[in-house]
Amino acid sequence: MTMIDETTLSSSLHAAANDFLVSRDAIDRILSEAGESQDTDRRYRVPDFVRQAGRGRNFWVAAALVLAVGAIALPLSRGVNNGVSAIGPRTLAPNLGAAGLSIVTNQGSAYVQTSSPDLSATGQSSAKSRQSLKIESSGTMAMTVPNGSVQTALTSLGALAAKDGGFVDSTQATASSRSSATYSNATIVLQVPQRLFATLVAQIQHVGHATSINVQSNDVTSQYVGLQSRITALEASRHQYLSIMTRATTIGDILAVQTQLNTLQSQIEQLQGQMNLLDNEIDYGSLSVQLSDVSHAPTTAPSSGIDKAARASVAGFVAGCEWLVKIAGPVLFATLLLGALFIAGKFTRRALRRRRI
Amino acid sequence: MNDASDVHDLESWLKEGYPQCVRTAYLILGNRLDAEDAVQEAFLRAWKFRDSLSMESSVKPWLYRVVVNTCNSRLRQEIPHRDHRGTEQQLSSIITSEDVAGRVELASDIMRALDDLPDHLRVVTVLRYFADLSEREIAIAIGRKTGTVKSRLHEARRRLAAHPALQVESPQQIPTNEEANG
Repeated sequence: MTMIDETTLSSSLHAAANDFLVSRDAIDRILSEAGESQDTDRRYRVPDFVRQAGRGRNFWVAAALVLAVGAIALPLSRGVNNGVSAIGPRTLAPNLGAAGLSIVTNQGSAYVQTSSPDLSATGQSSAKSRQSLKIESSGTMAMTVPNGSVQTALTSLGALAAKDGGFVDSTQATASSRSSATYSNATIVLQVPQRLFATLVAQIQHVGHATSINVQSNDVTSQYVGLQSRITALEASRHQYLSIMTRATTIGDILAVQTQLNTLQSQIEQLQGQMNLLDNEIDYGSLSVQLSDVSHAPTTAPSSGIDKAARASVAGFVAGCEWLVKIAGPVLFATLLLGALFIAGKFTRRALRRRRI
Repeated sequence: MNDASDVHDLESWLKEGYPQCVRTAYLILGNRLDAEDAVQEAFLRAWKFRDSLSMESSVKPWLYRVVVNTCNSRLRQEIPHRDHRGTEQQLSSIITSEDVAGRVELASDIMRALDDLPDHLRVVTVLRYFADLSEREIAIAIGRKTGTVKSRLHEARRRLAAHPALQVESPQQIPTNEEANG
């Protein structure tokens, strides 16, 4: 690769530039002009602010730091609160809303999880929309009763359902032995009006000792509205075919229209059936209760100290992992924000310096 | 820069460096009047923002940065609208020596070659081989890294060597003005 000689280049540049005189009067004029304008054009600049000492600078720096720390800490604290507190144990909440809380009890402790549309947080402004929501509820409950009390418990449960305007959907009972006249296990499915579903769940717990409760609620509003829309559209089509039928003159036309009408009618009835089923599920909540007497109840071995410690350790590990995952987002955001600010500041500082001088 | 001695240093720098800065700007801009205007504007800005000098390690690259930035501003704003490069007649008229056709020709050639260089290459070439700034000082002056300066100098020398105006068979030492005068 050919390169120009440095000495030649330097000499050439000197030859090109040094062969004219530069008046030195100009510099005196520049300095005098600069001296006159130095006090009239002093602008406020960031470097001056950074270098200057005093309360003002300290105040603004502290304020900026507080804002930055607050901006980072607020989302972090929210993430921590939302994450960790949801894991902690809760007492069994008797007041179950229609929105449905999934409750699982285990040896006296209970965990509450919102596994369905959380309507409890909605305010008064959403009361109307809440009324128009279509919620179906269902649940299962396991319960132990004293020996020989399964039949009594079944009767009590049926009476509770009937009192609340519901009914017993099905009952299945098993005797402990062929010779025994009493039942040791039974399953009863209760249907109660939706608005009283939570009340029934709370009342049933007094019949025996509930060992587990699992309640689920599903928002089927969109499904319901979709069915309504499809039925409306099909009925509109059916009306159009009926009007066409009145104008049909030939047998072929009549048969063709009749075929379409039959198809539409079939679809409408099918959808109507689905909607009736949905209506029924919405109107009535279904609760399946498994009863067993104490001698036949599934027993769990009492946890030893090591077992408890191991469980607590696993739970703590999982909680820590969840906390790390939850905190990763805000930390990443804060890191990116600080990085962007740093880069922007660097470029701005460079640009300002290059512009000023 | 609040210290009186620093102000005095800058003042002396401005006075002593003015001719050299004008010539540097002339090589960058290619026009003597533009060069003088640019340097005057640059010196006014340098004086105005002399506070930022306290953050610099040396006056020389800082001052050249001011000059280069001003020249770059002029190159971006004004130069494209007119033919700013000096002609051979201009070069001949400003020669103060008795002559020397070869020097005029060479000066003309180097100006033509510089004119064909991109602005960023021309600036580093002039700063390095005319203003005698080190690569580190040039990096400060143009606000880039030293590696960038090196690569630009390399590219500039390669392009100048390939330029038709500077195709000489063997490099020869060009006499300076003082040598030519006597």
